[in-house]
Amino acid sequence: MKRLPLEGVRIADLSMMWAGPYATRLLAEMGAEVIKIESPRAWDNVRTLLPQPGAPEPWNTSYYFNDYNRDKKSLTLDLAQARGRALFLELVAVCDCVIENYRADVLDKLGIGWEALRAARPDVVLISMAGFGKTGADRNLVGFGPIIEQMAGMASTTGYGDDGVPYKTGISYGDPIGGLAAAGAVALALIQRRRTGRGAWIDLAQRETMAQMIGPAFAAASLRGEEPVQRGNRDARIAPQGVYPCAGEDQWLALSARGDAEWRALAQAIGASELAALSVDERRRRHDELDRRIEAWTRAQTPAAAAATLQGVGVAASRVLDANAIHDDPQLEARGYWVELPHPKMPAWKQPVSAWRLVEARPRPRRHAPLFGEHNREILCGLLGKPESELDELAAAGVIGDAPVNPGVG
Amino acid sequence: MSASDPSLPLAGVRVLEIGGGVAAAFATRFLTGYGADVVRSEGPEGALTSDEQAFLLLGKRRIAADARALRELALAADLVVEDGAPGALAARGLDPRALRREKSALVITSLTPFGQDGPHAGFAASNLVAHAAGGILSLTGVMTRPPLQNGGGQAWMLLGLNGFSASLCALFGALVHGEGDWLDISAQECAAGMLEYAGPRAAYDGTPAARLGNRVNAIWGIYACADGFAGICALQRQAPAFLQLLGDPELLAPRFLDPAQRVLADAELGARVERWFADKSKRELLELGEKHKVPVGAVLTPLELLANGSLAERAFFDAVETPSGVARIPGRPFLGLGWRGGELHAAAADTETVARDWLGSAP
Repeated sequence: MKRLPLEGVRIADLSMMWAGPYATRLLAEMGAEVIKIESPRAWDNVRTLLPQPGAPEPWNTSYYFNDYNRDKKSLTLDLAQARGRALFLELVAVCDCVIENYRADVLDKLGIGWEALRAARPDVVLISMAGFGKTGADRNLVGFGPIIEQMAGMASTTGYGDDGVPYKTGISYGDPIGGLAAAGAVALALIQRRRTGRGAWIDLAQRETMAQMIGPAFAAASLRGEEPVQRGNRDARIAPQGVYPCAGEDQWLALSARGDAEWRALAQAIGASELAALSVDERRRRHDELDRRIEAWTRAQTPAAAAATLQGVGVAASRVLDANAIHDDPQLEARGYWVELPHPKMPAWKQPVSAWRLVEARPRPRRHAPLFGEHNREILCGLLGKPESELDELAAAGVIGDAPVNPGVG
Repeated sequence: MSASDPSLPLAGVRVLEIGGGVAAAFATRFLTGYGADVVRSEGPEGALTSDEQAFLLLGKRRIAADARALRELALAADLVVEDGAPGALAARGLDPRALRREKSALVITSLTPFGQDGPHAGFAASNLVAHAAGGILSLTGVMTRPPLQNGGGQAWMLLGLNGFSASLCALFGALVHGEGDWLDISAQECAAGMLEYAGPRAAYDGTPAARLGNRVNAIWGIYACADGFAGICALQRQAPAFLQLLGDPELLAPRFLDPAQRVLADAELGARVERWFADKSKRELLELGEKHKVPVGAVLTPLELLANGSLAERAFFDAVETPSGVARIPGRPFLGLGWRGGELHAAAADTETVARDWLGSAP
């Protein structure tokens, strides 16, 4: 069986919420051994972010937490205690990489900043992914994904366009973008280390990775002083383009006529062949009128049927897949995108395989997200060689645990 | 030009970009900055706007190459990144599997809307259509209006970012294990697995996800402020500090502090928060957020960010000479590794030098 690219890489993961854990899920999918470290007193809030009334162990049974933390191991360590920190540094000595997304000042305050890590492992790679970076006047701002996309310019580019209101993305978009870039940063730093023997400290500001996603808007702003144009679902170069209502409740079709040929085919399909000769400039000018003609056609059918008709004549179109429909999409189904991973405390649900399809090595999800502290023994005794008796002492001192202290709602 | 500073992490790494759309160009954009020799074989004319070129092409060498030359270059490369339709590469004599057989350390990254196989693999797609198939579109905007796309062509940008990070993982694998791979990455799949809690929730218990617009709840949303728009995104642990900040002792009552009760008082609290934001400037709001450790943000535009002191301190922006003046664009995505800016090359300007450097021959 072909090896995954990151097999043999071990990562100490201090990250919480979504950005960091998204990065380490990607790295785990690529074969890295990821050890997720939480304190019994300061654990990943995502575990209980969504209420689970009546659940006996809500910290272990969140689909939200478990979806983004599979293929990892769980170690509990209270880093506010000296013994917790000492064990953490012993672990770092046998890890290739440490990843954290605390606010900028937290790692140093805990006494496990860059110098301490480097003393434990001289060629360590540290990825710090605070919202606004480790330096700069904004470094102490508090930010989650929704704040990041506002502060990076993303929200200013999104909107219906007729009301001047910027819109947030329907997901905390800054998080997975920061996570994706962080996964790349880990691989890049490991490549450098392999070639030079040098470790690295990566200072990844989530605001800065998010700003990359609208990179061309900065060229427009700096060259011509342009503020972003909120275009709704339209496009500067393609017309018509939009999202149109279909039969059924909240059912939508997205389509684009990417040139004269696609427009002619679309006009024919919707019974507007008298408009088929319109140029793109005319189509842009008469966009509202064309929208009404398209809508009259889409309203009478399901989005899947409309998309099939249009794709059949070469027009770019798709059903707008919502969070439910996406789990039954024929394309994702045919590619085996969803898998049901057994979990000891929950019924299985459809989870995505890696979107990074290595055609030969074929990464597949291997294991459900770990239970809280599930791998304490394996890591402390197996990897670090501590005697079994020490586990009881550590548990009694609250350095490790198999359940969070005061698990409320995150 | 190809000799890059040996202190850069990807010095000496050869990358061939084929196809020329936003996705492939973005996937290789940072590779150039971190020292790789990125050679771009042009796609269709007009595939990138001038602003996209300014951001995506700096530092890349640009060539015109026929299928035979491309094949030779692919075999001289460490990484090939392409965003053509499924099968298009093979039709030009560059079948990824055949290339991999000839050079086992080669990494090939194929970026497409729907992937290399499956019933929709050959479907036509724009950025909007790919965005619709990935699920994020359905969650953005409000229920009384259609689902709303993100600005900035996010389906292709997200695909490109995935291409960047995935390619680096595969390159590391090739370095360590001596074996590359072929990466089949689809825009739909990149998005479908990152629908935050809405995706797993629907999969787990079928709960549909509404489009909540700018107001997930009273303390998680975007509000109008004195000079634009600003936002709050408080977790329960930050809720007391934020309610305190609102300055009305009544808001410290259990029906606002307790998350279960606050759900019932959400509209009332939202109206109070709206009033609080309305008379404050973005600057004031950010200062208050920092001082009280509450996640407050401001909706900033690219022009405002170009003037942002913190980004300037961190030397975030690169300058690039374009035909219409000097553009300032986001530079290195993260600090801590060597980075270089670059110049824009004209289309096909480097055909001969690349043939010489990579193949040791005239074209």
